Amino acid sequence: MPIIARPRATDGASPVLDAVPTRFPSLCRFATGLGATLLAAASAAQELHIGNGGEPLTLDPHRYNLSLEEKILVNLFEGLTAHDAEGRVVPGAAESWRVSDDGLVWTFRLRDSGRWSDGEPVTAEDFAFAFRRLLAPETAASLAYFLYAIDGAEAVNAGRAPPERLGVRAVDAGTLQIRLAQPFPFLAERLVYPTGFPVPRHGLAKHGADWVKPGNMVGNGAYLLEEWVPQGYVRLRRNPRFRAAGEVRLERASFHPTADRNAAYNRYLSGELQIIGDFPPGQLPRLRREVPRHVHVSPLLSIMYLVFNVSAPPFDDVRVRRALALAIDRDLLAGRVLGSGEQASASFVPPLVANYRSAVAPAPPDADAARALLAEAGYGEEQPLAVTLRYIAGADSKKVQVAIAAMWRDIGVETVLHHAELNAHFAALRQGEFQVAQAGWFGENNPEHYLELLMSSTGDVNYGRFADAEVDALMAAAKGTAALAPRLGLLRRAEVAALARHPVVPLYSVAVRSLVSPAVGGWHPNPRNAHPLRYLGYAPDPTD
Amino acid sequence: MGRYVLRRLAFALVVLWAVASVTFFLVRAAPGGPFDGERRAPPAVEANLKAAYHLDEPLLVQYGRYFAALARGDFGPSFRQKDFSVGELIAKGLPVSLTVGGLALLLALALGVAFGALAALRPDGLRDRLLVAWATGALAFPPIVVAPVLALVFAVQLGWLPAGGYQSASHYVLPTVALALPYAAAFARLARGSIAEALARPHVLTARAKGLPVRRLVVRHVLPSGLVPVVAFAGPAAAALLAGSMVVEEVFSLPGLGRYFVQGALNRDYTLVTGAAIVYAAIVLACNLAADLLLARLHPRVRRG
Repeated sequence: MPIIARPRATDGASPVLDAVPTRFPSLCRFATGLGATLLAAASAAQELHIGNGGEPLTLDPHRYNLSLEEKILVNLFEGLTAHDAEGRVVPGAAESWRVSDDGLVWTFRLRDSGRWSDGEPVTAEDFAFAFRRLLAPETAASLAYFLYAIDGAEAVNAGRAPPERLGVRAVDAGTLQIRLAQPFPFLAERLVYPTGFPVPRHGLAKHGADWVKPGNMVGNGAYLLEEWVPQGYVRLRRNPRFRAAGEVRLERASFHPTADRNAAYNRYLSGELQIIGDFPPGQLPRLRREVPRHVHVSPLLSIMYLVFNVSAPPFDDVRVRRALALAIDRDLLAGRVLGSGEQASASFVPPLVANYRSAVAPAPPDADAARALLAEAGYGEEQPLAVTLRYIAGADSKKVQVAIAAMWRDIGVETVLHHAELNAHFAALRQGEFQVAQAGWFGENNPEHYLELLMSSTGDVNYGRFADAEVDALMAAAKGTAALAPRLGLLRRAEVAALARHPVVPLYSVAVRSLVSPAVGGWHPNPRNAHPLRYLGYAPDPTD
Repeated sequence: MGRYVLRRLAFALVVLWAVASVTFFLVRAAPGGPFDGERRAPPAVEANLKAAYHLDEPLLVQYGRYFAALARGDFGPSFRQKDFSVGELIAKGLPVSLTVGGLALLLALALGVAFGALAALRPDGLRDRLLVAWATGALAFPPIVVAPVLALVFAVQLGWLPAGGYQSASHYVLPTVALALPYAAAFARLARGSIAEALARPHVLTARAKGLPVRRLVVRHVLPSGLVPVVAFAGPAAAALLAGSMVVEEVFSLPGLGRYFVQGALNRDYTLVTGAAIVYAAIVLACNLAADLLLARLHPRVRRG
């Protein structure tokens, strides 16, 4: 069994060791002596070792919940659509699709070359079966609502309708028809998640709940599940029956559950991992100086924001919300306080969302106007405004909250910082037990995905209980519009209308900080942080 | 002796049942549940999740169901690691923890007894002072400090050993050393004291006066009584080492049992926490029994069958 496989110069491929810039040893020294002897003995096969940030809790695509699970699953299965090497949505198991004029019926044409890893053809019925399974209450899929756009999905998921009521139909073996409840032009984008992946009907029938175990799992992706040692690694092997198997370059890849980013960083420096998706941000300047070719920093499709609880004083007063928003210098937060690739955003829809240009004007910080608004609302030196700002425990986030508290102190607001671990934080937010709090939303090239958080019908993820008739009406109108351009126009108006009332203060898009060995080819930073293994390989030329 | 062991085993079963019961109720009394997260599933889905894991039943029914399964050796499904049962997780994690812990125990005992004996032979000599200083220092630096330093020096800087993972023998070196050092120091201090004491006993002095060679003197006359405190401490120490160290496993990315305690508790993975607690209790009981039996051999007065 390979220990830590490293390609060697002798096998013709690019050696990791040679690809390391000459200045790298000043930062760390790659394995020499004893370690190198042990390692070299095992470097026969080409295997990529990836620090994946944590242990997957499941590899059942319908029961998954974490992005680190998604990073493994996209290699084991292929949905109707998929991400390419640069995070763009491209045809996957479907070669093409068309949408009816009313935007309600999507017809997907599957590729004839689609095969399960046991040789069975991938059929439209496999997808119909998978969508019904995802939404059946017994599956208890926590992300089932990703496909609520499908007609009948919500009723099926709530147990009010049988799975057969779901608007999916295999017209023939190669044609799948999806009927929507309302037009949803972003369906192709939505189908790239594992919730849209097919599952092998025959595998489930044979193995039951154990179908996800190595040896049992049958997939239609570029890789097979070879081995899974809990807390150890998940190892994948190339699937020779993948429809485009000829283009897949890497023989094996292992995903390591590197929950501790310092440990992951050490393992990267010592050459045991070739890709890590996070590293201690304090190391960034040094890494950029010493090993620039290893460092990739880019903004992620995401928005970090502050949310006000508008259902209770003092934030039921729009003047107070506007004052606090005006006091914040988001460029300073993103550029100086964090300064590791974050992108300031005045719009609630992240600037990276394709096709969408926000009409929200960036408002420069204005302490005088903020103080005037506070005075108008009855706060001043005699009666200063005191607020509690809740945030998620963690070193990066604390810096930001401390800076925000300082900005608010400038306008005479006293801020108490209150932190809690992630689950407790969001539990408090969902129950409305906060005044102002840090929150974040990650996701897709779909402005609605973010703006929905500000609809009164959204429920408890509209943490601040913001409700505005104009915003609701514009959102409803947008959701009923099939054509993309007018739909985006309505969404733009909804965003402007919402942010004029300051239910939230958009701050910045978070950054992905990766270290990637220059010997790994085909790795492109992108806003989705999508890096399917099928596009990666050891570069033919390390200087490339 | 046989009856003594049987009685201890019966007692152990009662202790295991008590540990399992207390854990069962305590973990369920903690705020929050296994399915709480950033987003909440629709109520129908949440209800189905609870039904799938029998969390919708009265607590006593759940208790009966859990112990009925436990009697068959079934620890139940993990609530969070959805693709594995708790039994599978323990079966995969325990060997790793046992290996690292066992190696660390051997290393700690070997270093501790050897250093302790060396120091005790010449009390207050230079060697003694150096060893005492080392032992005090090593006790002051627990694995949470030592482990990252070892990783930084031997893996990152020197590149002699891997910084994490467990695929080969070399992966075990740094975790074993990090885990063993404080215990080695504790053993050394215990051994030094008791061996010095044993050396001052009349029969040892007599043997020494008669000119018995030092090596025979130490092995035949000093160690049997000099090791009693060491063996007594080795029981709980072995239990602590064998059950897995969360810190060392985290730093060196070892897939052992120790991480399950913490992760299971944080994630409210009821079955995993209870299963891990039972295994830990069993290890403690087994190590203490082994230590007591060994003590009885070394020191007949302990034998009270």
